[in-house]
Amino acid sequence: MHAEKIALNRIGFATIGVATIGTLCVGMATRATRVLRAQETAPTSRSVWDGVYTEEQAKRGEELYRKECASCHGDTLVGGGGAAPLTGGAFLSNWNGLTVGDLFDRIRKTMPQGSLGKLSKQQDADILAYLLSFNKFPAGKTELQKQVEFLKEIRFEATKPEAK
Amino acid sequence: MFQWDIKGFVRLCVMGSVLAVLPIVAWAQWKAKDTEWPSYAADLAGTRYRPLEQINAANFSDLEIAWRIKTDNFGNRPEYKLEGTPLMVNGVVYTTAGSRRAAIALDAVTGELLWVHGEHEGARGGAAPRQLSGRGLAYWSDGKEERILYVTPGYQLICLDAKTGARVPGFGNKGAVDLKLNDDQEILPDLTTGEIGIQSAPVVARDTVIVGAAFREGMTPKSMRNNKGYVRGFDVRTGKRLWIFHTIPKQGEFGYDTWLNGSAEYTGNTGVWTQFTVDEELGLVYLPVESPTNDFYGGHRPGNNLYGESLVCVDLKTGQRKWHYQLVHHPIWDMDISSAPILTDITVDGKPVKAVAQPSKQGFLYVFDRVTGKPVWPFEEKHVEVGTVPGEWYSPTQPIPSKPPAYSRNGVSESDLIDFTPELRERGKAIASKYHLGPVYTPPSESKVDGPLGTLTVGTASGGTNWPGGSYDPETHMVYAFACNACAEPIGLVRAPKEVSDMNYIAGTAGEEVKILRGPGENAGADSPMPPKKRAGSGYVPLNVDGLPLLKPPYGTISAINLDKGEIVWQIAHGETPDVVRNYPALKGMNIPRTGQETYNVGTLVTKTLVIAGDGQITTTSDHPRGAMLRAYDKKTGKEVGAVYMPAPQSGSPMTYMVKGKQYIVVAVSGGAYSGEYIAYSLPSAE
Repeated sequence: MHAEKIALNRIGFATIGVATIGTLCVGMATRATRVLRAQETAPTSRSVWDGVYTEEQAKRGEELYRKECASCHGDTLVGGGGAAPLTGGAFLSNWNGLTVGDLFDRIRKTMPQGSLGKLSKQQDADILAYLLSFNKFPAGKTELQKQVEFLKEIRFEATKPEAK
Repeated sequence: MFQWDIKGFVRLCVMGSVLAVLPIVAWAQWKAKDTEWPSYAADLAGTRYRPLEQINAANFSDLEIAWRIKTDNFGNRPEYKLEGTPLMVNGVVYTTAGSRRAAIALDAVTGELLWVHGEHEGARGGAAPRQLSGRGLAYWSDGKEERILYVTPGYQLICLDAKTGARVPGFGNKGAVDLKLNDDQEILPDLTTGEIGIQSAPVVARDTVIVGAAFREGMTPKSMRNNKGYVRGFDVRTGKRLWIFHTIPKQGEFGYDTWLNGSAEYTGNTGVWTQFTVDEELGLVYLPVESPTNDFYGGHRPGNNLYGESLVCVDLKTGQRKWHYQLVHHPIWDMDISSAPILTDITVDGKPVKAVAQPSKQGFLYVFDRVTGKPVWPFEEKHVEVGTVPGEWYSPTQPIPSKPPAYSRNGVSESDLIDFTPELRERGKAIASKYHLGPVYTPPSESKVDGPLGTLTVGTASGGTNWPGGSYDPETHMVYAFACNACAEPIGLVRAPKEVSDMNYIAGTAGEEVKILRGPGENAGADSPMPPKKRAGSGYVPLNVDGLPLLKPPYGTISAINLDKGEIVWQIAHGETPDVVRNYPALKGMNIPRTGQETYNVGTLVTKTLVIAGDGQITTTSDHPRGAMLRAYDKKTGKEVGAVYMPAPQSGSPMTYMVKGKQYIVVAVSGGAYSGEYIAYSLPSAE
């Protein structure tokens, strides 16, 4: 995943990327202010404010969090020593406007740092449910799914939308 | 010449490199041009300054991306914490990249990959205290040969041929020096897992490579005993150790008696994990030294603890101490001297002074005569609060510079709390009431469920100026420094259960389970047993109000400090107002000036006319989509004169260079959902 979509505008052109090493983008002359967002988020109807996990799931997630995550990110999710905070303004800004699936992807790809691949998708989904719960997003009646394609349909919005 | 590694990331070609005939000269006389960027901080003086002006106030916003390189594949997984500042010499950009901490070389005009070198260190790399891509590397040349030097996560000093990326066989053992050996101490428990490493870039001065040491995060160590962070100099031609400086003195050495009860024997850490600065002409090296073992509790190391949190000047040839000044006596606030000292030739009261200026987490800019070590403006030993944590040893005084004034917040009182509205102010006060407040050097508190939970500090662990350091304009004698002005840090201490640590106290919150905290880039141990259930009665409260920072703006600043006068000339909020503040319902319609951001790792770049720095957080505004802005300020006034879009926050400090008539600015971006990427900006070619 993590495909980069780079807009080539009228001025821009791409020389031949020497793509031997992964995702190198060489010789791009793209007008900087017009680069599209790196992770396109499909328009969806659900957001983290719509009760996208259950309390039971968040409880399972908390157990896992304390065992697998808290040693770096702290019991109170504030991070520290460079481990990213998982609560508060900086955390919300990092994910605001993306999707729960983007956050899930990041966890799948890099965590737990010392033992990558140790956790199953279900476990990561449970941990994600705990993060949502800790950050005061409401619980609901259905669990957060473990398929990233579904999670990508849930918008991460830092601020509660006004009632319609 | 291209040397592609065919199998993946195994090291390139050990073949072919012919060891050049070693000329017997005292010191290679090669000199970089001022259009190049040959050292981590631009030069050995730590200035982050280049006198370039093609990119200026009139055209900064026109910058385009000249080239970019994602670092995902320089390692077995992507990295989201890319902190490097590249070098540029002779049309080639060199830097570290990716979770492998590969060394790479790129064409400075096109970004084309010229070579890549990675070291597979197996379990040793996996156990390293400081992993990921690090902050960069060092370049050396005698005018003929060119070498690149860097330190791997597993703490090996690697020497490469800058033309090919191949190890230089005549350096150390086939191009590598094992830094865990020959260190005047046995690195325990063994070479594979023994805790020591480094993430900063080495420097080369005259023909000496200088390397420091770093450890795990020091809030909650398992033991009062740890390995020590000595500083060493190596011959850049042979890898031979030339000297060592004991940052914790050995018996018989000066300063040993500042560790009472023989505590110098077992206390560890106290390394230099950040950048060194060197005056090649004077032959002097400046060492910014970090905290001794346990950042927040010093009860097992009574005394002032030299050279903890000191600036030390040593001889470049011998490593012998010339002078030192301890900036924090008996350190218990994690005020590591965290960035490169800056060499400045200034004029004070009509007299020229060869000075060194040290930015700090606590917001003081300490200025010394760099030959004698005497403060340029006197420091006063002021009485500070003595705490009550059982077993702790307190220094009754701390040195406070009389000039310049503190350039960032370094203490917390009620007047520092959030005050956008009366309701938010009351909620902020309710949170703060659970903590002990006070000015700079208010000591840590024992955490109690009924209060205080700890001391609420700012200007400590992640406050003020951290590893990116400041910048300096040698023409106008101005220091420019970013500072986090609102990075609040609760420092509470709890009794450590025997099975967790042999120390009496470690960092923690009453009612919470006591455990070892780790940083990123540490090996989070697998197969650890399930922790006990959370105990009842935890008094934890988050240090924010609905995500709004507990302390009031500005959250992050850039200050311009005139060093001839010791005065702050201007200070601005740096960074877009965070989304949480801009979108907070109760603040809608209020006229809130730009707040800056509470990030701690923003570095600045100075050119002929501009100060340049990027936002440290993602925002989404009507002016730009989700992303962060790289900003340019008029260096005379601090007025913003241009900005250009970055897809993610600045995570490594920007640098600049000029090649074939074109100026480039390169910056590392990453964070959140965006993996590491170096982006080079330049102006559009003429139509």
